Amino acid sequence: MFDRLEIFALASARAQHAAARQAVVAQNIANSDTPGYRAQDVSDFAETWRALQSRAQEAGDHIPLRSIDAGTPASPNGNTVSLELEMLRGIEAQRAHSRALQIYGSAMSILRTSIGR
Amino acid sequence: MTDFSSALGVAASGMRSQADRIRHVSENIANADTPGYRRKIVSFEAMRGTEAPLGAVQPGRVALDRSALPEVFDPGHPMADETGHYLGSNVDLVVELADAREAQRSYEANLRVFDQVRQMSSSLSDLLRR
Repeated sequence: MFDRLEIFALASARAQHAAARQAVVAQNIANSDTPGYRAQDVSDFAETWRALQSRAQEAGDHIPLRSIDAGTPASPNGNTVSLELEMLRGIEAQRAHSRALQIYGSAMSILRTSIGR
Repeated sequence: MTDFSSALGVAASGMRSQADRIRHVSENIANADTPGYRRKIVSFEAMRGTEAPLGAVQPGRVALDRSALPEVFDPGHPMADETGHYLGSNVDLVVELADAREAQRSYEANLRVFDQVRQMSSSLSDLLRR
């Protein structure tokens, strides 16, 4: 019953996805004044999770991520970063990350309770 | 964890670049009345080098504004020619102030990201503490 605990895999993949997304947001914001830079985003978690499921037993600590163009309109110097949108994405990633960690932590405390500690 | 450290490095590179930019703005403003001074322009580019984290930014080479220097009429000026004109600087204070404000805004955005990443990584290490 406890040989594969799906919830831990799910929560940890979600946290990794949020961390990767935050790294992309950091890149976009750092390049918000670089001429010709195109804003990027990562594929959403549903797609990432499906890809992770399909290569189930494969070892590897990196989760499969596809970087996509954010598709925002370009400013005159060819830069497509919108600071407001990136702020929003950063906060989304932060919330998703803390949610995943909370789920991980409470699943862990259920396990601890079940063994009487 | 590598995502966090690279994100911190990238945000720090953004802050460094914006700080460099605002330094050039302050040089321009300080020299707004220097005769013959040409406004310095700095543009950003992707950071090169093997050590650089992916997506980091760095200020590029400093360029000088090629627009014409204004002729100022002041016959008493030591640099005035026989018609009483001398060449001023092509610094436009309004443009410099707008540039400074934009640099400040971008710097704050980078700082916000830095703080978010720091919070995320500290909440991750909180898991170990329970």
